[in-house]
Amino acid sequence: MGSFIKKDLLLFLRDRKEIIITLALPILIIAVLNFAFAGLLDNDEETTLDLQLALVNQDDDENIAEQLEDKLVAEGSVDEAEAAMIAERASYSDPVQALFDFLESEDLQEWITVHELDEVTAAEKVEQGEIDGMLVIPNGFTVESLYAGFTGKAPNVSLAYKMEEETTNNGTLYDIIHGFIDNLNYQFAIQQIGGSNETEIVQPQGGVEQLGEGETFTLAQYFTLAMGILFALFLAITVAAKTGEEIRQKVFNRILVTNSHPMLFLIGKMVSTFILASLQMTVVFILAHFILDVFPGRSVDFWLGVGVIISLFSLGVAGLSAVFTSISLRMKDIDAANGVFSAVVMVLGVLGGNFVPIYVFPDWMQKLGEWTPNGLSLSVLMEWIQYEETSSLMMPSLMLIGFFILCLVIGLAMYPRRGEA
Amino acid sequence: MLETIHLSKSFKGKKAVQDVNLYLDNGESVGLLGPNGAGKSTTISMISTLLKPTSGEIKLNGINTVNKPGEIRKILGVVPQELALYQELSAYENLKFFGSIYKMKGKELEKSIQHALEIVGLKDRQKDLVKTFSGGMKRRINIAAALLHQPQILILDEPTVGIDPQSRNHILETVRLLNETEGTTVLYTSHYMEEVEQLCDRVYIMDDSEVIAAGSKAELLSILSSEDTIKLELSKINEDFVEKLKSMEGVRKVESANSQLKIIAKKGSNLISELVHLADRYQIQLLHYQTETPSLEDVFLHLTGRTLRD
Ligand SMILES: Nc1ncnc2c1ncn2[C@@H]1O[C@H](COP(=O)(O)OP(=O)(O)OP(=O)(O)O)[C@@H](O)[C@H]1O
Ligand SMILES: [Mg+2]
Repeated sequence: MGSFIKKDLLLFLRDRKEIIITLALPILIIAVLNFAFAGLLDNDEETTLDLQLALVNQDDDENIAEQLEDKLVAEGSVDEAEAAMIAERASYSDPVQALFDFLESEDLQEWITVHELDEVTAAEKVEQGEIDGMLVIPNGFTVESLYAGFTGKAPNVSLAYKMEEETTNNGTLYDIIHGFIDNLNYQFAIQQIGGSNETEIVQPQGGVEQLGEGETFTLAQYFTLAMGILFALFLAITVAAKTGEEIRQKVFNRILVTNSHPMLFLIGKMVSTFILASLQMTVVFILAHFILDVFPGRSVDFWLGVGVIISLFSLGVAGLSAVFTSISLRMKDIDAANGVFSAVVMVLGVLGGNFVPIYVFPDWMQKLGEWTPNGLSLSVLMEWIQYEETSSLMMPSLMLIGFFILCLVIGLAMYPRRGEA
Repeated sequence: MLETIHLSKSFKGKKAVQDVNLYLDNGESVGLLGPNGAGKSTTISMISTLLKPTSGEIKLNGINTVNKPGEIRKILGVVPQELALYQELSAYENLKFFGSIYKMKGKELEKSIQHALEIVGLKDRQKDLVKTFSGGMKRRINIAAALLHQPQILILDEPTVGIDPQSRNHILETVRLLNETEGTTVLYTSHYMEEVEQLCDRVYIMDDSEVIAAGSKAELLSILSSEDTIKLELSKINEDFVEKLKSMEGVRKVESANSQLKIIAKKGSNLISELVHLADRYQIQLLHYQTETPSLEDVFLHLTGRTLRD
């Protein structure tokens, strides 16, 4: 068994062209794509995402203290003196102003421009597409926020976000805004009453793809993952082609005339493919990292997670190579077989989003893409980059193992018995 | 020690090997002779357990190997007709791999690799990739790969096709050496009559999927003992002349090529005076006249009416 693996690895190493294709080419492509798209999307390092946000203030901010005092008394939870005291204290804080301050803070200024408009104008501009979306501060927002903060109940008036159709830009803005509106609605009230003017809102990080607690992922990361995975997938074709060469060179017959179990040949193929694929991705990821600084400052845990997915995906590629090997041994026309294998891998690559980002495809194709081992690995790794949640690795890991087992079963079932080859 | 009994193989109804009975005694060197497509390789594939016979048996020391191939695989060395080597690996790496699939390892494997390389005379080239070898050298490594496990029976399927005379002699010498000094039983397949004549104690002649003759060289030649072969070189050839020749008393077969004639006639027909007479009548000059002792080639011609290589 060891000698089968050694033979396959040696055969691969002897093929200088193959080594260049599997290692140097992906790095080159990553670098080229990265520079090409970096120039296209943002000329200066910072992201150029500039969202136009209309802010419509419908809140009547006069007599806040009185309104609050009246409301507190009317609800009957406190007596008048206490209500007056709370109202007095609350009147120093101004949720609406805090919201303005927040939206115009340095962090957000880079990518959001706020326009204060009345509702009609704002709606018009949104419709014309001049403005990406509008945020409405409803009447009574201040009082409600302060009251809710004091009583600890959720406010029954909240910020409303409106926008025209869901264009990409709008969608992004919506994601960004929506992500913290809830926070805003809730946090404001509590913080204000607490007497502090500082808002502890979780601010969205400046980024294109995602919003939330995770890191965003960059184009360089996308290219690195997509290309690393794609070229590892290509190894299944390479291995199949080498098997074809072995059939042509009749060496397989030499194995058959010995008492060695022919299955060792297949197992050797899988193990060597697994080794090659995992080495290949590891090298591509690490080289890309050192050359382009793709994964700056990530933890050991992060790299371990990447390692897990690399291993499991390599297992999938190994499974695929087993199927290809069995088919090769059965097919009369080896060139035709290799053509079919290449086509299969290309389709997997396209569906999995390794050539073009998957979201340019219709929905059903995107769904299908998640069922390819490469598409699955790509999306899992992108998620891992952002959130680093161990639980997010579980399902995909099981699916990759499932894919491997499926391939293994097919490969073994199709493997020719002696005398059939 | 090894025999095939009514061995037959059909591919999709088309018969490739029919009713072949062979046997190999311990230490013998046996030739399997036949033209292209005779069924030699198919027979060998069945013996070496690569193909299952359609019918018939293969027995090793009296035990049928068809369903119990373990034993024969251990003692059989097969040199396939086509090169079966990794071109991208060195000679040494090839041998190491092929030795390891015979479950050899470590010192034992190393020793037999060096021994095999020595036998085929390529010890000093072992580090080179096979693809850099000449055709003859590749053939020799192809043989070495079958020797690693010191097989008791060595089957060689046309090991000398398409190579230079020097390599060919080397290979023939190697096979003789293995047979004579190491006591290896040899089944040597070829369509070169002279190789088989030179190497083998006994010969099987196959044609069109069947064994058409078998025996020691002397036995086979005795098939022709009732015939003489006469070779003539003439100044010109005339069809009437050939027709007249054929109708002469005692003549069995006449073959003509250019200005040469080959006549097979009943032994002791003493055609010479009649021949001279006839040639004279057609104003043909007799340039050369020779009576030949028959060769296995002639035996084949006699049996099939065709030459071995066309
Ligand atoms: N796998 C196969 N499928 C179908 N027909 C086959 C197969 N192998 C051999 N044959 C046929 O069987 C016949 C015998 O072939 P075989 O290779 O045994 O001949 P051979 O004596 O070795 O000839 P050569 O001297 O050319 O090597 C041929 O007619 C060949 O076409
Ligand atoms: Mg043959």
